[in-house]
Amino acid sequence: MPLIEMKKISKIYDNGVVANDHVNFSVNKGEIHALVGENGAGKSTLMKILFGIEKPTEGQIIIDGQEKEFNSSHDAIAAKIGMVHQNFMLIPSFTVAENVVLGSEPMKNGLIDKNKALNVTKELSKQFGLFVFPNAVVDAINVGMKQRVEILKMLYRKAEILIMDEPTAVLTPQETQDLFKAIRTLVHQGKTVIFITHKLREVKEISDRVTVMRLGKVIGTVDTKDVTREQIANMMVGREVFLDIKKPQIKRGEQRLTVKDLTYVDETGRPVLRGVNFNLYAGEVLGIAGVEGNGQTELVEIMTGLRPAAGGEIIVNDKDLCNKDPRTIRMMRIAHIPEDRLTNGVAVNSSIEENLIVDRYFKQPIKKGISLDYKTIDQMTDNLIDRFSIKTPNGKLPVSSLSGGNMQKVVVARELSSEPYVLIASQPTRGIDVGATEFIREQLVVNRTEGTAVLLVSADLSEVMSLSDRIITLFEGEVTGVFPDASSVSEEELGTYMLGVKSQTYAEMEEYL
Amino acid sequence: MSLETVLRSIFSAFFLASVIRICTPIILPSMGGLFATAAGTFNMALEGIMLWGAFTGVFVSAYTGSVWLAVLCGVIAGILASMILAVFHLEFGVDLVLGGLAVNLFSSGGTVFLMYTLIGEKGNTSTLPSLSVPNVHIPIIKDIPILGEILSGHPVFTYVAILAIIVAYIVMFRTRFGTHVRAVGENTEAAITLGLNVKKIRYMAIGISGALAALGGMSLSMAYLQMFQRDMSAGRGWIALAAVNLGNRHPLGVAAAAVVFGLADALANQFGSLNIPSQLVQIIPYATTIIALVVYAVQQKQQAIARMKKYQQAHFEEAKAQEGASE
Amino acid sequence: MRELFRKKAFREFLRVLLALGIGLGLGFVVTIFVSKDPIGNYRAFLLGPVSQLNRIGDWLEESTTLIFLGLAVAIVFTAKQFYIGVEGQMILGAFVAGTIVLYAPFPPLLRVIAAFIGAALMGMIWGVIPAVVKAYLNASELVSSLMMNTIALRLFDYLVSTYLQQPKVAGIMSELFPKEVRLPSFIPNLPFLADIRMLWERQTSVSVMIYVAIGAVIVVYWLLYKTPFGYELRMVGSNSKFARYGGINVKRIIVLSITISGIFAGLAGVHVALAITHRIVQNMSAGLGFEGVNIAILSFNNPAIVPFASLLYGYLRAGADVMERMGDVSRELVMIVQAAVLLLITAERLLPVVQQRVTTDEEEEGQVVHEKGVKHVA
Repeated sequence: MPLIEMKKISKIYDNGVVANDHVNFSVNKGEIHALVGENGAGKSTLMKILFGIEKPTEGQIIIDGQEKEFNSSHDAIAAKIGMVHQNFMLIPSFTVAENVVLGSEPMKNGLIDKNKALNVTKELSKQFGLFVFPNAVVDAINVGMKQRVEILKMLYRKAEILIMDEPTAVLTPQETQDLFKAIRTLVHQGKTVIFITHKLREVKEISDRVTVMRLGKVIGTVDTKDVTREQIANMMVGREVFLDIKKPQIKRGEQRLTVKDLTYVDETGRPVLRGVNFNLYAGEVLGIAGVEGNGQTELVEIMTGLRPAAGGEIIVNDKDLCNKDPRTIRMMRIAHIPEDRLTNGVAVNSSIEENLIVDRYFKQPIKKGISLDYKTIDQMTDNLIDRFSIKTPNGKLPVSSLSGGNMQKVVVARELSSEPYVLIASQPTRGIDVGATEFIREQLVVNRTEGTAVLLVSADLSEVMSLSDRIITLFEGEVTGVFPDASSVSEEELGTYMLGVKSQTYAEMEEYL
Repeated sequence: MSLETVLRSIFSAFFLASVIRICTPIILPSMGGLFATAAGTFNMALEGIMLWGAFTGVFVSAYTGSVWLAVLCGVIAGILASMILAVFHLEFGVDLVLGGLAVNLFSSGGTVFLMYTLIGEKGNTSTLPSLSVPNVHIPIIKDIPILGEILSGHPVFTYVAILAIIVAYIVMFRTRFGTHVRAVGENTEAAITLGLNVKKIRYMAIGISGALAALGGMSLSMAYLQMFQRDMSAGRGWIALAAVNLGNRHPLGVAAAAVVFGLADALANQFGSLNIPSQLVQIIPYATTIIALVVYAVQQKQQAIARMKKYQQAHFEEAKAQEGASE
Repeated sequence: MRELFRKKAFREFLRVLLALGIGLGLGFVVTIFVSKDPIGNYRAFLLGPVSQLNRIGDWLEESTTLIFLGLAVAIVFTAKQFYIGVEGQMILGAFVAGTIVLYAPFPPLLRVIAAFIGAALMGMIWGVIPAVVKAYLNASELVSSLMMNTIALRLFDYLVSTYLQQPKVAGIMSELFPKEVRLPSFIPNLPFLADIRMLWERQTSVSVMIYVAIGAVIVVYWLLYKTPFGYELRMVGSNSKFARYGGINVKRIIVLSITISGIFAGLAGVHVALAITHRIVQNMSAGLGFEGVNIAILSFNNPAIVPFASLLYGYLRAGADVMERMGDVSRELVMIVQAAVLLLITAERLLPVVQQRVTTDEEEEGQVVHEKGVKHVA
């Protein structure tokens, strides 16, 4: 009998999104079980339900033969389930031992028993091969050790089942090996480990069984030794529904932007971009296909001046825009539809018209003399509201009064109406309704046909495949493949490149980048 | 007065003893501020809460004749005043700065208002027969020459202040409650996932800050002076906040910072006779706080840049090595 | 009516009214407890300022100072900077103004003008350190501004007692400003107004500063809502990440917001010095800095509302004064009322009563779908 059984689990959010669709998922005692899927597949949600952070709309959870209902993570912890999240929940100024015992500190005479805490930590550390410095301040230890502290936290609370959410996303290759060693020790001592990942190499290396999810459903559960990475990739990516987007014949023009050897290292020292090269051409959509977390976000932010690069160049019209500020980049007519509209794309408490002029308030005709010409602004706003079908009674209302789709239309209206030389669109249709999605995609195609160089970054593979003329795949900070004709490559093929199963050499790619 | 005379007076036991006494109404509220800040809810109303403590102590002692009852009531008043801030911030989302300012306003006005209502005075309560706390003469120590004068004979509140530092240290670093307070303040999300009741902890932290601030206020109206004066906290609540900032959230650091402020105050008076204007000396601790703030921020920035540079360097060397290996 | 309810501005106006109502009601309740004649006292409080000309004068003068302070704080609050160093800027501005007016070797009119300019500059300069430290090092402007306030007060005491001290008086203060630099009355010196002018001059000292204040309101309003700079400031306050993404130089805006607000804080100092105290005296700023915060909050940082909020609070302060002089209720009652109003206005979650009902109706009618945040489900 399996240790964990999740039967017919469904999770439907208030806004209608179906995160989990009648999922059946089971894990045996003492196994290492990998849970894979693209972004949006539903794997994080499923684990959140198992850890009590979310409640399922339907379905049962059975642990060790007993049906359980989790109202909070404490119930899950009581059922001996522990979860190590992607972003660590540690107190930086506390020591390792203090973090491990936080919340249930051992006491002696009314005071915390520091020695006991240290000893318990040392014992657990030794028992499970999780090397830590018990007295080290968490702020000063490296990411690998921080993760081990998180695991120790769960072990301290007597967890038998450990859920790990993308544990290797922040680790170096060496640290990953250390982690795997530790996982094997844990399992050897009777623990059960579930880990969420999209790194197929690791799935093959460490897991016993793997469950693949896509679009909220379980595609299948197989023994790892019986599948190749390619087969897993195929299951993950599957048969995408091709969108009916009419795209006129491409008329590619001059080279407009060159990214040369772009590198970026994050605050923990992990190389996020390892020398990215590609060109953007007028009249063409270049799509970047890849699972989120492989450097796309950072790439876009660097290209738009929101983040400094470690090295490399971004050349537009013989000028290097790398590490320049957003104003300078915008003045070169490079527009940006950001992936997180609420953070960067709009100021929700300001009016629609105020949101529309942020890139042009200092230029004529918006600026007249030393003041703003509101008549022009009003006209422009009405114009844009009309042209982009933004559903709102007037342009003076705050952006917060709009639906997600209409908010995005405001962003798109602003960026596209600036008649950009280069347009960088990152997750342009994420989280918005169907109508707005279609409209925005149409607009992107129109712009491309009219000659704009478009860079499309999207986790939605069908979107990338339908809208792009040319596609490159980004995996672990490197361009792993280029496909000059987007219509002639299959999803499975792309999937294998996106997931690092296959890759082209630089020589092979050079002329098509 | 010559430099020599002044120096001699500074190093006298009398002076050191007075420094300790001057620090008392700064140390007490700063210990309170420390707790509130540690929980992530800095208390900007210390200045005002001190007034409620000072006021309540004076009036209760005058009307009941009992010093200790007065102290108790003062502490309760401080807790209640701090609860205004706590409730409005934690339940109704009032910003801490604005809420703190509001409570200060309420305290400054409310104490004078009540004073006028009860005894018809607006300046001070000198007409009231309020009491002051006794001085504590520690047996044996009090007879030691020089040291005895410095350490013994202070009003109760001074010893309470010293005790407060020690207790604050023990509570914050050795008890569950104190550790939870620090956890809540440093990483609220982590605290929630570990089952800590963030709201309750914050209420308690703010309440403690109110109690200590009230004690600080009473050390002014029932020891330093034997009456309540309008706005008698005279900026000590703000100094306490600066001390918490300067002391980097550690009881010993905060206490040290508080002493620095008190010392500057005491020295300022001494230097006055040397023709060094007292106000300029008083400015020193505040300027120091700003400098410390800047230095800290600069340090953080340099550290981040240095880290990035280090990793980038390592990355390039690794890349070069790989290139070399593949050729 | 429901249409009206939906407008955010109307809801906020209602909120202010409610807060004021509760605050004043609370004040009345307190008065009942402490006074032998609560109604009489409260009447004096509420009607006092308009009962006599000199009281009207006090009211207007008080309000004028508040306008400058409210504008100063409104500017920084619009940029979402928690800078409360207005008091320091104000008192040093007063000092500079006073020094110029007393000792500058110019004819009187020039002295007064120079005093204005000097005070404004001083206010700007005093804001530079907290501004730069926040913009470039991200160090708390709250702490640095509090420190600068105290330093300013001490510095002021030192400078006045050392350089401007009027001999043979108790207390730190300068000499009285000479008659030539007295600001003229706000009623123009026209023949047909001569009687009114004399009346006002005799009983009040309401000066042309009122016009300067109104001018300042117009300038700040225009600056914030009609110029590109004001737009940048508002966007930084609305969402600084958006501002940066859009190309705005956020650091520059932070520095400018604090230093420009210093101009108006300095002018507040000029007003107190030249029109109210007519000398430089210790503690002349008397907690007015925080009053500036009150005004800004009450006005929702909108310069156009600042004059009304200032008149309101000026009225309350003057009224409390009258009440105390005529009755048995201390004037500090107004501080209690102000504290209550401040808490109630900023209590986002306390007065949603009106808000909640309306929003649910909107949702029912399917007109507005609020997006709480893009929850990427994986």
